Amino acid sequence: MSDSTLFKVTIDNITIEVPAGTTVLNAARKIGGEVAPPAMCYYSKLEGSGGKCRTCLVEVSKGSEKDPRPMPKLVASCRTTVMDGMEVKNITSEKVIDARNGVVEFLLINHPLDCPVCDQAGECHLQDLSYEHGKEGTRYEFQRRTFKKHDIGPYIQLHMTRCILCYRCVYTADQLTNKREHGILDRGDHAEIATFIEKSLDNDFIGNVIDVCPVGALTDKTFRFKNRVWFLKPMDAHRDCPTCSGKVTLWNRGDEVFRVTARKDQWGEVEDWICNTCRFEKKKTSDWVIEGPRMIDRHSVISQGHYAGNVGTTIPTETFEKVHNGRQPNLLMDIHDVSNVNKQHIRLSLLERPAHSTDFTPNQD
Amino acid sequence: MTEFNRLVSHYPEGKQKSALLPVLHLAQNSFGGWLSSDTMDYVASLLQIKPIEVYEVATFYSMYNLKPVGKYMFEVCQTGPCMISGCDDIIDYIGKTLGIKPGETTADGLFTLKTVECLGACGYAPMMQMGKTYREHLTKEKVDSIIAECRNNAAANN
Amino acid sequence: MFQSRTGKLKVMGVKILLDKAHVEGIRYFDVYRREGGYQAAEKALKEMSTDAIVEEVKKSGLRGRGGAGFPAGMKWSFIAKPEGVPRHLVCNADESEPGTFKDRYLMEFLPHLLIEGLLISSYALGSHDTYIYIRGEYAWIVDILEQAIEEAKANGFLGKNILGTGFDCNIYVHRGAGAYICGEETALIESLEGKRGNPRIKPPFPAIQGVWQRPTVVNNVETLAAVVPIIRMGGDEYAKIGVGRSTGTKLISACGNINKPGVYEIDMTISVEEFIYSDEYCGGIANGKRLKACIPGGSSVPILPANLLLRTAKGEPRLMNYEGLSDGGFATGSMLGSGGFIVLDEDQCIVKNTYTLARFYRHESCGQCSPCREGTGWMEKILKNIDTGNGKMSDIDLLWDIQRKIEGNTICPLGDAAAWPVAAAIRHFRDEFEWHVLNPEESQKRNYGLAHYADPIYVATP
Repeated sequence: MSDSTLFKVTIDNITIEVPAGTTVLNAARKIGGEVAPPAMCYYSKLEGSGGKCRTCLVEVSKGSEKDPRPMPKLVASCRTTVMDGMEVKNITSEKVIDARNGVVEFLLINHPLDCPVCDQAGECHLQDLSYEHGKEGTRYEFQRRTFKKHDIGPYIQLHMTRCILCYRCVYTADQLTNKREHGILDRGDHAEIATFIEKSLDNDFIGNVIDVCPVGALTDKTFRFKNRVWFLKPMDAHRDCPTCSGKVTLWNRGDEVFRVTARKDQWGEVEDWICNTCRFEKKKTSDWVIEGPRMIDRHSVISQGHYAGNVGTTIPTETFEKVHNGRQPNLLMDIHDVSNVNKQHIRLSLLERPAHSTDFTPNQD
Repeated sequence: MTEFNRLVSHYPEGKQKSALLPVLHLAQNSFGGWLSSDTMDYVASLLQIKPIEVYEVATFYSMYNLKPVGKYMFEVCQTGPCMISGCDDIIDYIGKTLGIKPGETTADGLFTLKTVECLGACGYAPMMQMGKTYREHLTKEKVDSIIAECRNNAAANN
Repeated sequence: MFQSRTGKLKVMGVKILLDKAHVEGIRYFDVYRREGGYQAAEKALKEMSTDAIVEEVKKSGLRGRGGAGFPAGMKWSFIAKPEGVPRHLVCNADESEPGTFKDRYLMEFLPHLLIEGLLISSYALGSHDTYIYIRGEYAWIVDILEQAIEEAKANGFLGKNILGTGFDCNIYVHRGAGAYICGEETALIESLEGKRGNPRIKPPFPAIQGVWQRPTVVNNVETLAAVVPIIRMGGDEYAKIGVGRSTGTKLISACGNINKPGVYEIDMTISVEEFIYSDEYCGGIANGKRLKACIPGGSSVPILPANLLLRTAKGEPRLMNYEGLSDGGFATGSMLGSGGFIVLDEDQCIVKNTYTLARFYRHESCGQCSPCREGTGWMEKILKNIDTGNGKMSDIDLLWDIQRKIEGNTICPLGDAAAWPVAAAIRHFRDEFEWHVLNPEESQKRNYGLAHYADPIYVATP
């Protein structure tokens, strides 16, 4: 099959064409918005990632045009490739919503919920996930899991209790460095990220594990407790770096550089990996050529401090179309199929006469 | 080293990492019944893999001891079928007899008591693993004689 | 009641795997050969094409004996055959499902039967390097198998140019190190590669990309041993044994509160009642007690109360085979699974039993995916509370909800295996759980007992 073959896939009633070999998740990301399932472990730039966290589970209600049978179980959309004519339900599937709800609960039962003192707060994917798919309160009445503390060097702070074992940092070390020194030790519910014997992670590119970490398990030690991310002003900047692309985001308050990160796209993924020197050593504005303010998703708490006008807020002028990169609003649900008022076997638009009360289900009240 | 080479020879050229599990068993037997980080680093160098790859594996599998253990390790099964055949009493009895709790080693370094999950001897329960073999159909009397046997062997080897 | 033994005279069941198990010295090549061993291998390698062997296995209707029951011949036919890439057969001897100890018996007493089955299967699949992945605890069986392999090699049944056919085959024993999850075929493959036993995300399936990215077939010990009688007698003859889609014979490892625990070969035509009470098999419940419940196919399959175990919901005697044990689905049935038959008498506590199984699955979870890693531990903690008299009524519904959210949502079947025992225990023994909650002190002193679990179920006739 050549790469140019296009497959038609319908996700939440929206049909698009994608090249053969595309995963359901990436097809859904092309549609964007709520149709894209959340992903805590999958990372498009890390080979082999995905499949583990189970937050991106979707229902395949039709396998393909050739074999229309639905898949018996929910599947991880990040590791399932589309077939021609496939029909997928994400937020239009009750089963998916229910399972995702369960996964969020599982991810949270042993999470310390120490957001008030966590440097990741404000840019934490687990926070976003819980907000969007979780429930208030907990049904877990046991002591939360703890781990022995490990020091992994002067640059990276490890908080194992916050880890959701997405394995991204392991893939990062394997794929960006030639000598991985940390890994997943032990198994089951005590599995942990560690180096086994106390060791500093000091490879030139190891700092990227901070950016790929979806939670606050791996944070920047040089930024530890320095500031809340939403008080900082993110700015794109670059420098002529012999090791990496040198394209970064600076997080400033006034003229002071509080931290340096890679630039992240709309899915929270790093655009270009950066080296440790850029990340940890270049903390002066004069080290950098400032390009301008970093675009931050307007739903993010980080954008709350960045007003469009000088005084107060201005009324947003963007239309839906503009906000969604040119996409028209889509109906995610076929209202006719679920309506309690319409009779499902009567297509109102196909009637050759005005609709009559007998075309509708009588009022139950 | 002959045994090491034999184990590695089972796998295709360049896939010597595959020998890791058998080689760790070999190392554990050869270096005092447990795997120190030095031992693991040595295994890594022999197999030409990163030390972390060895640590990851050694901590995953329950049969590798990452701390020193007694000369005789009593690993008593406590899963369903053994439970309904009375393993709890056997575990208690061994513990009382040796004066240790599961997970502990006697002060003389002779015995370690450990509870483990299903060992595949459900029809011969209660049972335990001791070194390379299984001791099955355990009773209090049988436990006494096993302990005596171990003490005698230890004394004879001193 | 169910206490009556069948009593009637019956012809002994057909035996084709264990028929020679008690022959003195059958462990060794000479005796095994004298008793007709390796004749099937000779027939296969000298007289049959590889396709013909696969065809016989398909005709036999042999289903995977490790638990899932997938047709073995079909699995073989999926293996990819790309030019210049070696293929491998891997024997799954990582027998770890609580209640199951049949493969151990086979390997301990009849190692050459397995080696012969491996040789024929390797030839059929084109595997020149075949591996036996054996659980680490079966340390002494490694020696037995390696000795058998040496003997077979010395007699020209392994090594180069076997029987002058030009076919080369070596068998290696790879010892695991204590991880139930390695019985899952992709975790087994990872472990064979010297890694942590984390199951792989499928696809790709092992038949396309297995060990070292090469096409691989993973089969259970008993499945591969059964290939020997299939070739000896022909697939059609093999298929005549048993009933319906349950063809051939099955090894059942029986344990728990019965008079004669052990490994039995059944031809899948007998009833569960006969299996438990006849002297040929379990010999009835030990110490004159009454049967309360049974987990008929290894700890992960649903537990059934005595009444549903012996008779289906339709009131018919339940048969000891794939279809019989699963009759009624999970609502009123169970599964043949791996053949680990665990019998519980009236003195056993279902809550405690469920707790130990939950502890087992928590201990064995690889920790890779969230529902299993977090859910198994949560269930264990709640069950421990209920078992020790610290449970709440709402815990029972919570348990139900947790198992429901694990089942079907994990990478590999360990999630299901952990969820099913809890679900079935609540489904059939909910009143025992409630009694534990409502009688926290009394439940620490005595067991709930048989209650109504053996009462006949009246089936409304239409």
